[in-house]
Amino acid sequence: MLDTIAAGINAAVPGANAQVLNAEDAKCDGSVLVEAAHIHAVAAHLKASGTMNVLQCITGVDYTEYLEVVYVMAKFDLAAPAQLLLKVRVTDRVNGAVDSIVDLYPAANFQERECWDMLGVRFNNHPDHRRILCPDDWEGFPLRKDYITQKDYRGMQVYPEGKMNMGDREFIVRQDMIKKAQEAAAGKVQ
Amino acid sequence: MQNKWDIDGHAEPHTVNAETEKMKSDLLTLNMGPQHPATHGVLRVEIKTDSEIVAHAIPHLGYLHRCMEKHSENLDYRGVIPFVDRLDYLASMSMEWTYVAAVEKMLGTEVPRRAELLRIMTVELQRIASHLMAFGTYALDLGSFSPFLYAFDEREKILRLFEEVSGARLLYNYIWIGGVWNDWTDEQLQRVGDFCDAFEPETDKYHALVSVNKIFLKRTVDVGILSVQDCFDYGATGPVLRGSGYQWDLRRNMPYSLYPEFEFDVPVGTGEHGTVGDCWNRYIVRMREVKESLKIIRQVLKKIEPGSVMGKVPKVLKLPKGEVYVRHECPRGELGIHLVSEGGDSKEPYRLKVKSPCFTHVSMLPLMAPGQMVADFVATIGSIDIVLGEVDR
Repeated sequence: MLDTIAAGINAAVPGANAQVLNAEDAKCDGSVLVEAAHIHAVAAHLKASGTMNVLQCITGVDYTEYLEVVYVMAKFDLAAPAQLLLKVRVTDRVNGAVDSIVDLYPAANFQERECWDMLGVRFNNHPDHRRILCPDDWEGFPLRKDYITQKDYRGMQVYPEGKMNMGDREFIVRQDMIKKAQEAAAGKVQ
Repeated sequence: MQNKWDIDGHAEPHTVNAETEKMKSDLLTLNMGPQHPATHGVLRVEIKTDSEIVAHAIPHLGYLHRCMEKHSENLDYRGVIPFVDRLDYLASMSMEWTYVAAVEKMLGTEVPRRAELLRIMTVELQRIASHLMAFGTYALDLGSFSPFLYAFDEREKILRLFEEVSGARLLYNYIWIGGVWNDWTDEQLQRVGDFCDAFEPETDKYHALVSVNKIFLKRTVDVGILSVQDCFDYGATGPVLRGSGYQWDLRRNMPYSLYPEFEFDVPVGTGEHGTVGDCWNRYIVRMREVKESLKIIRQVLKKIEPGSVMGKVPKVLKLPKGEVYVRHECPRGELGIHLVSEGGDSKEPYRLKVKSPCFTHVSMLPLMAPGQMVADFVATIGSIDIVLGEVDR
C-alpha cells in the first residue's frame, strides 16, 4: 500500500522524491519520506486525490543529525480505512523550516504549534506561530536530545538544589539505612 | 456557521445604519479560566465578547503541562505505564491499554485470551465510568445539580471494583505489558454482572431526568453545530465525530484485540431534537454508548474461561529498531501512540508521542465559538468533554 501511495505522490508532485521506508523489523510500521520543500504540494495531492482525508497529528523526532517531522494521516472511510506516516527531514537545527499545511488541514494549526514548541521546527505561513504548551518566553526546545533546562525562569529557579521530592528523599534515606545495616552486619562478622 | 461577529473578516459585513451604529461597541476581552469550573480543569479561553455574544475564542493551553513525553524518554518501558495513567485520569485503563498495545506490537507478544477479555471488560467499564462523569458534569454545567449525584453514585461502584483488583481508584497501573497485573475472581466477575443488571434501568432514569428535559433541550439543541466535514478537517474523533452523524468507531472499522468477536452497535447522532452535530447529539451518543458497553461486558462474562492472565515477556524489555503508531478508541476519541525505539541495548523509548483526542477537540473551539452566547459557549465546552491532563500531557 505504501508503494502505491509513494508512486502516486511521485506522479503528482515532481521533485517530491517520495520513497518508502520499510521497517527493519516486520512488526514495526513503514512510512513514506518526501522532500521537505514539497510537503505542501504532497499534502494537497493526498487530500485532493482522497488518499488521506484526515490529519491525525504532527509529531517530530530528533535524530541528532536531522529532525524528522512525522505527519500522521488517516483515511476515514467505512469501506477502506487506512493510515500513513508521512515524513520529512530537516537538517538545519537553527533555522530549519517547512511549509505549513494549515490551509489544507485546519487540524495542523495546533499540531504545528506543538511541533515548534517541542522540537523547534518552524512552519512557514502559519497563521499563529506561537508556543502552545510552554510559556511564550521559554528558552529551548524540550524534546530535542541536546536540551538543557534553563536555570531561571522569571526569577524562579527551575530546579532548586535543596528541593527534592519526597520520593527521592525517602529513597536516599532508605539507601543510607541499608548501607548502615550492611556495615553493622559486616562489623559483627569481623 | 453564523459568523456575524467574526473579527477575521470572513463573514459578510453587516449593514450599517443609524441604529446599529448606536449599538456598536468595542469588543470586551474576557478570560474564562484557568480556574473556571465550567472549563473542566485548567483551561483558559480568552474570549472577545460583544455584550453577551462571543466574537472570538482563543484557547490557551499548557497549565497542566508535565513534560510526560520527555519524562518517558528516561524511563524503561514498564515505568511509563503510571505516567500514561495520568494523561486522561478519568479513563486511565484506556490510556494504559493503548500504550501497552504499542509496546506489545513491537515486541510481538502474545497475550493470553483471558487477559484480553479482562482488558476489554475493564476498558468498557472504564468507558461507562468516564461517560457517567461526562454526563454528570455536563448537567452540572447547565445548571442541574442532582444528575451529578446520581452519576457519581454509579461511577463509584465501578471504581470500587477497580480498587479491589488494582489497589487504586483512579490511577491503576493495572494493564501490564503481556497481560494484566491481577486476575479477577469468579465472585468479582459475578459482581460485575450484578452491577450491569442493576445499572441498566438506571440509564433510563437518566434519560427521563436529563435527555428529554425541557431546559436541557433549550440549552443544547442547535448549539455548537459541527458538520462531518468540519470534523474531518480538524481531525475530530470519538463521540464528537459520531455526534455529527458519521458512524466511525475504531472498534468496528479498524478492529483491534478481540473486538471482532463482539456484537455491538455504534450509535450516531440522529438529530431527533434539532440539527445533527449539535451539543445534544454529542451528549446522547455518549449515553447510548454506555448501553453498548454494557452489552460488550455481558458478552465478556459469557465468553470468559479460566486461564493465565500474563503472557511470556522477557524481564528486560528491548524493542527492535523502528516505530509504530497505534490507535485505540478511548471514551473521548482516538488516542494514538507513536513509539520510536532505537533498538540495540536501549531499554527506554527513544521518543513517545501521545496524540490526544482532547487536544484536537480544543482546537475546534475557535470554530464553534463565534456567534454564540457566553452561556452557550459553556455548553459547547462541556459537550466536547475534555480532560486537561490529556490536552497538556
